[in-house]
Amino acid sequence: MAERVSYQRLPKVRIRELKDDYVKFELRETDVSIANALRRVMLAEVPTLAIDLVEIEVNSSVLNDEFIAHRLGLIPLTSDDAMRMRFSRDCDSCDGDGQCDYCSVEFHLNVRCDSDQTLDVTSADLRSTLPNVCPVDVAHRVLASADPNSYDSSDQRGILIVKLRRGQELRLRAIARKGIGKDHAKWSPAATVTFLYEPQIHINEELMETLTLEEKRAWVESSPTRVFGIDPSTQQVVVVDPEAYTYDQEVIKKSEAMGKPGLVEIYPKEDGFIFTVESTGAIKASQLVINAIEVLRQKLDAVRLQEDDSDFGELSAHLHGGG
Amino acid sequence: MNAPDRYERFVVPEGTKKVSYERDTKIVNAASFTIEREDHTIGNILRMQLHRDPNVLFAGYKLPHPLQYKIVVRIHTTSQSSPTQAYTQAIDDLDKELLQLKKAFEDEKNRLEGKPYY
Repeated sequence: MAERVSYQRLPKVRIRELKDDYVKFELRETDVSIANALRRVMLAEVPTLAIDLVEIEVNSSVLNDEFIAHRLGLIPLTSDDAMRMRFSRDCDSCDGDGQCDYCSVEFHLNVRCDSDQTLDVTSADLRSTLPNVCPVDVAHRVLASADPNSYDSSDQRGILIVKLRRGQELRLRAIARKGIGKDHAKWSPAATVTFLYEPQIHINEELMETLTLEEKRAWVESSPTRVFGIDPSTQQVVVVDPEAYTYDQEVIKKSEAMGKPGLVEIYPKEDGFIFTVESTGAIKASQLVINAIEVLRQKLDAVRLQEDDSDFGELSAHLHGGG
Repeated sequence: MNAPDRYERFVVPEGTKKVSYERDTKIVNAASFTIEREDHTIGNILRMQLHRDPNVLFAGYKLPHPLQYKIVVRIHTTSQSSPTQAYTQAIDDLDKELLQLKKAFEDEKNRLEGKPYY
């Protein structure tokens, strides 16, 4: 059999900025297909938890039941364990009604307004049966109050669900389940995921020096984003921020209009990408990237040929005949 | 009303195979792989990885219809290889690449988390 050569690449990563809900990193030595697959998986296939089933006991608020159920569904929940949980459709130890910790988490909401002032029902009023699953903003406040260095955020009141006036009441049971963004956007852990090709900018210094300072200024100004600048000491045009370039071609059009085509050459680097990932808070942004890679691996594993469907006739003919 | 259920998009119905394979009757070393409940995410990375294999003469994928939740990957190879071999190889290589990518990302994360964020 012909030796199995590997056409595998060794991608490189450099993280530029890392926060709980934001990460910016460079991905190199791979191609767009991987970058785009990662982006697609982060948006639509990394699992999180979200409220999926609501049983309303009492609702005398101004909003109807389904309106409230929808609003509850959209509240992001801390989903650090979602990768380990089961989808309730695959769960064989229950029927997805919240009785089983493998696939669901139960929430209770019980609020009644007895004062003349309108009462805001917020995500902070949701009572979870599992301590590690709660609305993201609530978890944030708990962390912030434990940290004396963080600024006081006690005035934040959670995500508004409905407002109640005197005598109105809302009492319900909600089941949060594991799901993916492909099913419903409420399960998407990503607020935004973008990547851009790293631009490679070459200034034709010789041609550039034929411009007067005035012309250089006009040329630099022609870019809608601040990509170029003028060095105050040498009066040379320099690249200030290549990533600010939006592939708008404005500077190239300007060079042509000035009768100096070829002043600058800009092309996207085919194997360098700059990702920005913003998370809803359901999982940390860095964990979102890691989970996305893991989900993509699982997907690939699922599309492997099974023993019984590979064509053994052809394969063995190849083994004995060719080689 | 008559909209298909949302889960139809990613749950393989019972009795259907995730991947089925059909050899081309007219051309040797050509075959089509029908992958159920997958889309451009898998299709495109597979296609690009297959293009890196010099024994692959043709590799392409299509999403036949937006409401048929499947993709068809077509592979044509030289006699040195076979579509099944190229397909398996592509998945193996992608898997290794992603594993390496995950490690690279985790190393970077650990490197940065030694320092405070702000």
